[in-house]
Amino acid sequence: MDSGEKIIQQVYAAKEDMREADRFIGAYMPFIRAETAKWLKRPPVEGHDDELSIAMIAFHEAICGYSRMRGSFLKYASMLIRSRLIDHHRREQRHGGVLSLDMPSEKGDGSLGEILADGRDHSEELALKEATRAEIEELSRQMEEFGVSLTDVAGNCPKQKRTLAACQRAVRYAEEEPGLLEDFLRTKRVPVTRLAAGSGVEKKTLERHRKYVAALLLIHTNGYEIIRGHLKQVMKGVTA
Amino acid sequence: MEYMVMECHSSYAILLDEEGRFLKAANLHYEVGQMVREPVLMREEAEKKLPFFRWAASGIAAVAACLLILFGVRFYRDSIRPYSSIYLSINPEVQMELNRKGNVVELTGLNEDGEKLLEGYSGKGKDKVTVADELIDRAIEMGFLSEGGQVSFSIDAPDEAVFRQYGTELRTRVQEHLDGRISVTIRITDRNAEVPASSETTEKPVETSVETTAGTLPSAEEVPPSPDTDYDDTDYEDTDHEAPGHGEAAATAAPATEAPSVPATEAPAPQSSAAAPVQTAPPAGGDTDYDDDGNGGDYDDDDDGDDEDDDGDEDDGDDD
Repeated sequence: MDSGEKIIQQVYAAKEDMREADRFIGAYMPFIRAETAKWLKRPPVEGHDDELSIAMIAFHEAICGYSRMRGSFLKYASMLIRSRLIDHHRREQRHGGVLSLDMPSEKGDGSLGEILADGRDHSEELALKEATRAEIEELSRQMEEFGVSLTDVAGNCPKQKRTLAACQRAVRYAEEEPGLLEDFLRTKRVPVTRLAAGSGVEKKTLERHRKYVAALLLIHTNGYEIIRGHLKQVMKGVTA
Repeated sequence: MEYMVMECHSSYAILLDEEGRFLKAANLHYEVGQMVREPVLMREEAEKKLPFFRWAASGIAAVAACLLILFGVRFYRDSIRPYSSIYLSINPEVQMELNRKGNVVELTGLNEDGEKLLEGYSGKGKDKVTVADELIDRAIEMGFLSEGGQVSFSIDAPDEAVFRQYGTELRTRVQEHLDGRISVTIRITDRNAEVPASSETTEKPVETSVETTAGTLPSAEEVPPSPDTDYDDTDYEDTDHEAPGHGEAAATAAPATEAPSVPATEAPAPQSSAAAPVQTAPPAGGDTDYDDDGNGGDYDDDDDGDDEDDDGDEDDGDDD
């Protein structure tokens, strides 16, 4: 089972490194496609079938959740993929099988979204989307300067509501405290001690979610109005 | 709730929800900046830590279980399982089963008086000497033991050292306990050899006697597993005899064999006398009993233990 061992090593490498993960997933696309095809009972259509994307994220989950004790990685991944596909299918059923607007139209002159008429003003939405994208890209770039990536933040983000609220309390305090945010921007470091002292949140918590707090603080500096708007309800402490 | 798409990768996307959470989700052909309502969220990494901990935890649990079992076994072996027995005989016969540490784990009355003696008495967990003292006290109270009487301890221990140790302990401390109150004879014998090493008698190694004791003989001879050897412990005094180890053991086995449960009781005296005869020519120090029994005569005759002759009798006791 040499190849088995080799796979395991790659999985472990992928766990640590995003690029490795992408590479590994890329290498196993045929496997992922095959698994999806088994489920769909037909070959998946790229760009159309959500199932493929779901299978991909399931594969990614498999990388994260795999450990040697679970046996063969591919079997584990296959099981997980099937599991997620089933979940998705059930969800779709509940929603009555919504079609994707991105689906290519039958005549092939653009996606359904583009063809179907709809009351909303798409150009505005499009503009908004563009503006949002710009903000986000700027955010990503700035975060890089702080040594934090969005993927890191997603991994570092508190899962429990309580902790989440605590971190946000700390950020709210930072907003109100003059100079804190500037210092943060300048030093490129999260002032955990000051935040803990001022907001009453435990230092330990802030330390554990340092990257998340960093992202949040950044969002509260100038230039990220749209993103802040998205968060507005919660950040102001008002439950949506 | 709406989710803002923050980043797109080949196999997943990062979304920001309205509550400030950054989440990984399936990349359903998203574009950065897009708003999404029904993401397929990745269920994840919470797992990562677990397997290791779980694995470590089960490893630790396994080790803990092993240790527990080992300790449990040790505990059982030392404190619960009977390791040796001491048969106390006055008139009442009682068997004290001891654990490795020398504490009583079981008390059994071997005859009616023995049962009476034990009635209402709880000795479990107590040290052997304590129980011996307490039982003797009871016997005195109940009238089983009186001035000039005899208390025998027949010890069944798996090895010589233990036997000697217990023997000495019992003898000294019981003596102390009774000091000034009542005067009795204390006998200590090795149940395995059933050769009484009583304080009163002097023993002499007697190969001959071996025969007489029919039953016990074989055991005595054969083996004398440890007890036999040093049987002649001088502790037990009357050092006259130097036993060459095996020889003496055999000696008085007889009485014992007869009635395993009542060696001592039967007739302390006779036993002594029995021992005496063993001596063969050199009349061992003397057991006057010897003569008294009249068996003496018989014995005298023999020289080297023709206990053979006595075979039939061994019953020194009987003769009485």
